[in-house]
Amino acid sequence: MRSEVREALIAKLTALADDEVILAHRNSEWTGHGPILEEDIALANIVQDELGHATLWLGLRQQLDGSDPDRLVFFRDADAYRCCALVELPKGDWAFTMLRQYLFDLYEALWLEAARHSSYQPLADAAQKIIREERFHLQHTHAWVERLGQGTDESNRRLQQALDMQWGYAQQLFVPIPGEELLVAEGIVPDLALIKEGWLEHSTRHLRNAGLKLPVNPGYQPTTRTYHTEHLWSLLAEMQSTARWDAEAEVW
Amino acid sequence: MDTQWPRWEVFKQDTPSKPHQAVGSVHAADPEHALLTARNVFARRPQAVSMWVARADDIHSWTREELLEGSSKVRADTSLAPGRYLVFRKTSHKRSMTFVDYVGEVEARSPEEALVQAQATFGDLEALVWWIVPAEKVYRSDPSQETLESWFAPAKDKTYKQQQYYATVGSHVSKHRGGRGVEDEE
Repeated sequence: MRSEVREALIAKLTALADDEVILAHRNSEWTGHGPILEEDIALANIVQDELGHATLWLGLRQQLDGSDPDRLVFFRDADAYRCCALVELPKGDWAFTMLRQYLFDLYEALWLEAARHSSYQPLADAAQKIIREERFHLQHTHAWVERLGQGTDESNRRLQQALDMQWGYAQQLFVPIPGEELLVAEGIVPDLALIKEGWLEHSTRHLRNAGLKLPVNPGYQPTTRTYHTEHLWSLLAEMQSTARWDAEAEVW
Repeated sequence: MDTQWPRWEVFKQDTPSKPHQAVGSVHAADPEHALLTARNVFARRPQAVSMWVARADDIHSWTREELLEGSSKVRADTSLAPGRYLVFRKTSHKRSMTFVDYVGEVEARSPEEALVQAQATFGDLEALVWWIVPAEKVYRSDPSQETLESWFAPAKDKTYKQQQYYATVGSHVSKHRGGRGVEDEE
């Protein structure tokens, strides 16, 4: 693999993992606070699965540059994270959390479907493994969007409010990272423009069926993963505190 | 207004050769939601191939004691068209994780008549409890290969801790044998 392709792949794997880690941590804030026990457990399951995906992506990165996944997750500062802003936003209410997870699950499921055909076999294998449970996540959050949208005036209002806030942020999922065009040209990762077509088609149909209005003004659309919202700093401060408190500890 | 979601009983099938077994309950808004939460609560580890849910209100239940007291009067309304009923039965106190197992179907005009049919059809073991559920009130997970792959297959690859792993205080059940009647054999 040419060194510039390798560098781009390392950056892409990092971005994929960072989205999963940060979203997982955000959703883990619901643990013990879910609307009912069953959904509390369900969301914790999704969180664990997303962390498992991050472990796979960082494992692939490790094969390329020998980096330690735990060091990357627990000792990197916010400036070095490459997550998108959508996953950093505070968890909000249940409608906000379910909508974000739905928008992300749909993107991830479509991306993984395509990534199963990656010319880089380790990535194709990982995608094949992850897609299975991602389909289940999507079914769950798909169902929630429908129920909140068609539920009561209050649940519809809250979901609409979440959509108005998130729609612009969600578009960042389809902004390629620097060097991604090299990976697309080599057939290593799918072209995000194609993924976005499928995502827009599925999401707009489902959101409209759920009784929501797509925002006329899409709102703020972040375009780079180099800059972050202020929320990432406080999230990392909490998430990394135990590891940084005793960096030499081998057993927690 | 009651804001509680209804309770659903969950039946899990571990392998194609085993019956569906009651494993517990979930609260959910509708059948699809009940199946989704049931999968999360009961089938994340270690394995399953199929799940059913039925609203607790739709389950007709009789214990052996109730039957001995004669509370199973057949009130079959013969004007009703016959329907299919699923029959579940508990035959042992030994298993702690399961309550009733699916044993088969009968056709009847009422739950009470279905019980009589069940007693005649599934008489190989004494039943401690019968559950009779109208077939159309039982909702099943999608049997397609894709659902098997996404709902149940990932759990097989995953590690998990047995609940006794957490029991750092206390001693193994075998230490207590003798004088406590029938012990759980699991």
